Amino acid sequence: MSPVAQVRLLLFRNVREGARNPVLAYALPVIIPLAVLVLVAKTLYRVTDLPGFPTRNYAEWMTPAIIMLTAMTGVGYAATSLVIDIQSGFLDRLRLLDVRPPALLLSRVLFDVVRVVPAGTVLLGVGLLLGLDINEGVGGVLLLFGLLVVWAGAYGGLYFVVALSTGNAQAPLALAPLFLPLQFLSTQFVPLSLLPGWVQAIAAWNPFTYMVDASRALTTGPLTFAPVAKAFAVALAMLAVTQALSLRAYKRAVGG
Amino acid sequence: MAPAAAPACEGVPVSSRPAIEVHELTKEFAGGVRALDGVSFTVEEGEVFGFLGRNGAGKSTTVRILTTLLRPTSGTAAVLGHDVVGAPSAVRKVFGAALQDAALDELMTGREHLEMAGRLAGLGKPRSVERAAELLERFGLKAAADRIAAGYSGGMRRRLDVAMAMVRRPEVLFLDEPTTGLDPQGRRAVWDLVRSLRDDGSTVFLTTQYLTEADELSGRVAVVSDGRIAAIGTSQELKDRLGATTVRVRAAVGDEARFRAAAGADPLVATGDGWFEVTVGGGEAAVPGVVARLIGAGAPVDRLSIHPPSLEDVFVGLTGTEIESSAGGADDGRITAVRRGLGVPGGLGR
Repeated sequence: MSPVAQVRLLLFRNVREGARNPVLAYALPVIIPLAVLVLVAKTLYRVTDLPGFPTRNYAEWMTPAIIMLTAMTGVGYAATSLVIDIQSGFLDRLRLLDVRPPALLLSRVLFDVVRVVPAGTVLLGVGLLLGLDINEGVGGVLLLFGLLVVWAGAYGGLYFVVALSTGNAQAPLALAPLFLPLQFLSTQFVPLSLLPGWVQAIAAWNPFTYMVDASRALTTGPLTFAPVAKAFAVALAMLAVTQALSLRAYKRAVGG
Repeated sequence: MAPAAAPACEGVPVSSRPAIEVHELTKEFAGGVRALDGVSFTVEEGEVFGFLGRNGAGKSTTVRILTTLLRPTSGTAAVLGHDVVGAPSAVRKVFGAALQDAALDELMTGREHLEMAGRLAGLGKPRSVERAAELLERFGLKAAADRIAAGYSGGMRRRLDVAMAMVRRPEVLFLDEPTTGLDPQGRRAVWDLVRSLRDDGSTVFLTTQYLTEADELSGRVAVVSDGRIAAIGTSQELKDRLGATTVRVRAAVGDEARFRAAAGADPLVATGDGWFEVTVGGGEAAVPGVVARLIGAGAPVDRLSIHPPSLEDVFVGLTGTEIESSAGGADDGRITAVRRGLGVPGGLGR
């Protein structure tokens, strides 16, 4: 069996397994972003009265950013499952079948990435119900999901690094609150001009800011090249770094 | 005890290509822990070879090296002529292995496990589906085939694990402590399985810490202790060579002194219920001599029974330590009087 077919088969295994553990695998990525979206849209909507706020409907401002947030609240499940695969001897079983160990890692990383797509779709639907206007068409939405997937791989890589270097299936849980500061120190809630000066300085270095800005450009518009290109560049660079570190930690954990 | 005689195993090779050939294998882990210290043995095709030892003796390390999961520090090992270090891919194609813990995915069904293993092994989808059905039937898992493994009993998990090891019709099968942690029913099922494999002529390398298991299932047994092979042979050979036969005699009241005198050099133990135990080396053949000596010394023998050595006696003699209680409960408490330093005679079993 070719390595590509092996990864596909193992990915199918993860997807099927997720269906048997649907709360953790598929519902969890949706719950927090959905709660944030609905709560802020129904409680803080008067923020749009501030002078200089670009939209009238706060849900419209929030939804694209919240879709990107699913990548950060949904990850971790796959990294935990991978550590269990190593510890249970399942990986050894695969090696005995002549499967190269990185195929298992890749199948788990891909699953982490794949499962943000239904989560993002649910939030897009809720956003539309709350009055989101898609001004940049289907192409923009497809690019948004492309960026979401890359960002999920980049951010999820951190979880794999922590899980694999500690060998502790529960360790990635400690990373879960990281999305909170990243969210508040970005342009998710209000435009850059309304943030205090020191937050503006941090937001410029916060990769999530780039995801948020691009997500708006790709949906509510106006669509310009620069924010989208920057976001893809940041996400791809982070993907390369975190996944390289995760591969290294994996090789150490499984002995080559 | 079924005569486990397999004369072809000793000396004359059955086939020109041994199933497993291990030469001076050592494994040192980080921190200087020496798990294997010069292990050599040969397993012929069609043999069920028992690898008996306590926890930490080096059993699993040996299996992990033979199954290409671990590299040896020095020495060589080959499975059906393929070197485990030089040609791991070729080795993996000829063996199947069920490692120490049944490596199952809790959320996958039995059928899914087998079908996935078949496809990863390159059988193709239709053949994998067919093979999975065959194995489920053979291993008595048909009724549970479509339930997830989380609900399987220990025995079912083991059987599924062994079934996965057999997806590719392996020529050599490694079973690392297949019954550890199983209840008696589960153990019996695994034993039946190994017996049926033996009857099919499969080559099986079986590690165990249970003496009864090695005795019941294996042709030849290697007793391993502290990373070295202490002895190799059929269990009968080991018992004859290393074990001690216990003769239990009952004396007429008041004759203890005469018994003691007659026993001479053989150790005599009074069990306190009117019985004495005399332990004799050299197997059952030595028994008539002991009896003749007792009678000749005028010690009236009231009753007499002969207890051949168990493999546990051999094990204790070789390693100086008692192993955890045996699995089958076949030993009936006659492990007295064997704590003698039998030493490790050189050149055994080769």
